[in-house]
Amino acid sequence: MSSNRELTMSSYVGIGVGLMMIVGLEVILTFQHMATRTLLFSLLTLASLEAFVAIMYLMHVKYEQPILFWTIFPATLFVLIFLCYFFPDAFRMFSMRLK
Amino acid sequence: MNHSELAVVEAHAADVETSRLEHGILMEASPYGIDKKKLGMWMFIVSDACTFAAFLFAYGYMRIGAPVWGTPFGSSSIVNGVVMTAILLSSSLTMLAAVRASQSGEKASAKNWLGVTMLLGTIFAALHLREWFKLIGEGWRLFYNPTGGAPQFGATFFSVTGLHLTHVVTGVIALAFVARGYNQGRYDQSHVETAGLYWHFVDLVWMFVFPLMYLMNAH
Repeated sequence: MSSNRELTMSSYVGIGVGLMMIVGLEVILTFQHMATRTLLFSLLTLASLEAFVAIMYLMHVKYEQPILFWTIFPATLFVLIFLCYFFPDAFRMFSMRLK
Repeated sequence: MNHSELAVVEAHAADVETSRLEHGILMEASPYGIDKKKLGMWMFIVSDACTFAAFLFAYGYMRIGAPVWGTPFGSSSIVNGVVMTAILLSSSLTMLAAVRASQSGEKASAKNWLGVTMLLGTIFAALHLREWFKLIGEGWRLFYNPTGGAPQFGATFFSVTGLHLTHVVTGVIALAFVARGYNQGRYDQSHVETAGLYWHFVDLVWMFVFPLMYLMNAH
């Protein structure tokens, strides 16, 4: 994962152009009259891909020691997934209130 | 104490002194091999990612729970959103250029790139506010939907985009402070790099905010 050979500035511009192309693809998909669930899944997949590229290259995680990646990202993903999973369960607290 | 024992004690004392001079206090080097400011920024980014995720999950659940959801964005708003995305992405590239220039000791170039990044951030904020005022002009409020649908659209849209806008404005102010300190010699390249990390995170969040808040609500 880690590498000492950083990209040149023109390569970063190429990454920026690639990210803009993904945004363009998102806009095209939006106007394809897809089912809401399919559109949501497609947009989230593309956004996650963009985020991964941004984290690895723009935020330089690819060039840091692997321990940084393995310390931060699995734990964060775990928290985010469980946050999403338990979020609606919080509404149960309203019915648990003492009358 | 013989001569060899004395030499060992002196060598240890020299190591301690070197460590104290390098780190300020006696401590081991970071196992992550990065500056402590940068590690602190990563911790902040993780906590901030959870905050944004909570806002976006709340939006998702409200949207699923509402029978009719507002879709106020026409093609002009989407084009505006694409332009905003392009500007924010470009600002990430100029931020990278600033970090590179500071790492190679090109102070004037780093300062200029930081200035361009601040300018792009300000343009982004202005376009964002234009979109807000357009919606407010159409009658959208925090708790009011002029089309008669779910009133939660305004609450979720203005909160999520407002939180992001706050981050952009804070980022521009932080970059101004870093640029000033760097120019005066109070800050070094590690400060520029840490500020850059924050700026890229703001860009990263927008990659989720734009499709979820704008594209999913296009008519």
